[in-house]
Amino acid sequence: MPITVLGFAGSPRRHGNSETLLDWVLAAMASEPDVEVEKVVVVDAGIGPCRGCNACERTGACVQQDGMTPLYDRILEADCVVLAAPIYCLGLPAQAKALIDRAQVYRSRRYVLGWPVIPEERRGKRIGLFLSTAGQAWDHVFDAAIPSVKCFFHVAGFRERDLRYLLVRSVDESGAIRRHPTASEEARALGHEVATTLRERIGA
Amino acid sequence: MIRVLGVSGSPHRHGNTERLLDAFLEGAREAGADTKKVVLSTLTYAPCRGCNACHRTGVCVVDDDATPLLEEMAHVDVLAVASPIYSMGITSELKGLIDRAQYLWARRMVTNTLDYPPEHLDRHRGVFLSTAGSDWPNVFDGAYPVVQALFSGLGFRYAANVVVNGLDAHGGRIQAHPTALADARAAGRREVASLLPR
Repeated sequence: MPITVLGFAGSPRRHGNSETLLDWVLAAMASEPDVEVEKVVVVDAGIGPCRGCNACERTGACVQQDGMTPLYDRILEADCVVLAAPIYCLGLPAQAKALIDRAQVYRSRRYVLGWPVIPEERRGKRIGLFLSTAGQAWDHVFDAAIPSVKCFFHVAGFRERDLRYLLVRSVDESGAIRRHPTASEEARALGHEVATTLRERIGA
Repeated sequence: MIRVLGVSGSPHRHGNTERLLDAFLEGAREAGADTKKVVLSTLTYAPCRGCNACHRTGVCVVDDDATPLLEEMAHVDVLAVASPIYSMGITSELKGLIDRAQYLWARRMVTNTLDYPPEHLDRHRGVFLSTAGSDWPNVFDGAYPVVQALFSGLGFRYAANVVVNGLDAHGGRIQAHPTALADARAAGRREVASLLPR
C-alpha cells in the first residue's frame, strides 16, 4: 500500500506563495518511493461554509452536498494531510476557514456520537502539516490562525505531536517565496522527513 | 443621535450569537441610540480573492454586497460585530467580510489616502460579541486579533468584548445563562452613554 498524501491549497490566489510552499513539500514527498500525492485547490473545490445547523450531531454526516462531500473520507484515508494557506487579517482566509469548519462533522462523530473517527490501528501513524505565509514580519502573525488549524487536525484524528509547521514571514506579493533564502530548502527537507517517518511508522 | 450598527456573522438565525447582539442593540436603544442590525447570511458577497489590485488603487475590484456594507459600517458611531466561535475562530462568513476590508488597509498602509486621527478613534467604538460552547478560557483568543484588524481598517477603537463561553453547560442556550444577555444589554447602554455629552 502506498503512503497517501492529500494537500490542500487554501489560498484564493493560484500559484502564490503558500501554494508554492505546498508544491515544494508535495514534490519532495512524491520523489520518495511508494508515495502518492494529490493536491486539492480549495477555491476550486466548491466548499461552502458550515451552516451551524448541528445536524451532524445526530447523523455524523453533513447535510450539505458540495465539494466537501467526497473529501470527508479522503481526509481520513490519507496518511498525511497538508494544509497550506496564507495569513489574511491575522487569520486564515475565509475559504480555508470554511474547510476547517466543515470538519465539525468529525467532531460530532467523536465527541457527540462516540464513533471512532479513524480505526484504532491507524492512530499515531498519520502526520499533519500546516504551511503558511504572511506578508508581515511580526512574531505573532500566525498565532491567531494556529488554534483553528490544530482544531482541524485534532478532529480529523491527528495527534498534536504529529503536527509539523512551516511558517514563512515577510512574503507578500506573488512569487516572493522564491526569493526567500531558506523556504524552498526547508519545504523539501520537511517533505522528505515526513515521508521517511511515515514509512517507518506504517512499515510500508 | 448616536448610530449603532450590529453585524451578525452567524449562519444560524436567531441563535445564541444573534440573541447576544440583539440584547446589546436593545441596551443601545435604551440609551437613546438609533440601531440597525445586518445579518451576513442574508447578503451576497464573495471572499477576498487576494488579487492585490487594491494595493495599487485603494479600491476593491469585486462588486457585491461587501463593500457597501463596509462603507456603512465605517460611518456609524458604535460598531458591534458578532460571531460564534467555530473551530477556535470566527465564522467563514465574518472572515470573508473582514478579508474584503483589505482595501481599507491598502489605503492606510500602501496608497496613504486614509488616516484616522486619535480624535476620530475617540468617537468610534468597536465592540466584539461572541459565544462559544466550550468553556476553555482561551477559546476567543484566535478571534480577537482578526477583529482588531477589522476595527483598525474601519477606524474604530476596539472598545470592548462581550463574550460568553461555556454555553454547552447551559444546554447550548444563551437564555439559560445567568448573566449573558443582561451583560450585553448593559454593554450596549454603556457604549452609547460613553459617546453622549456629559
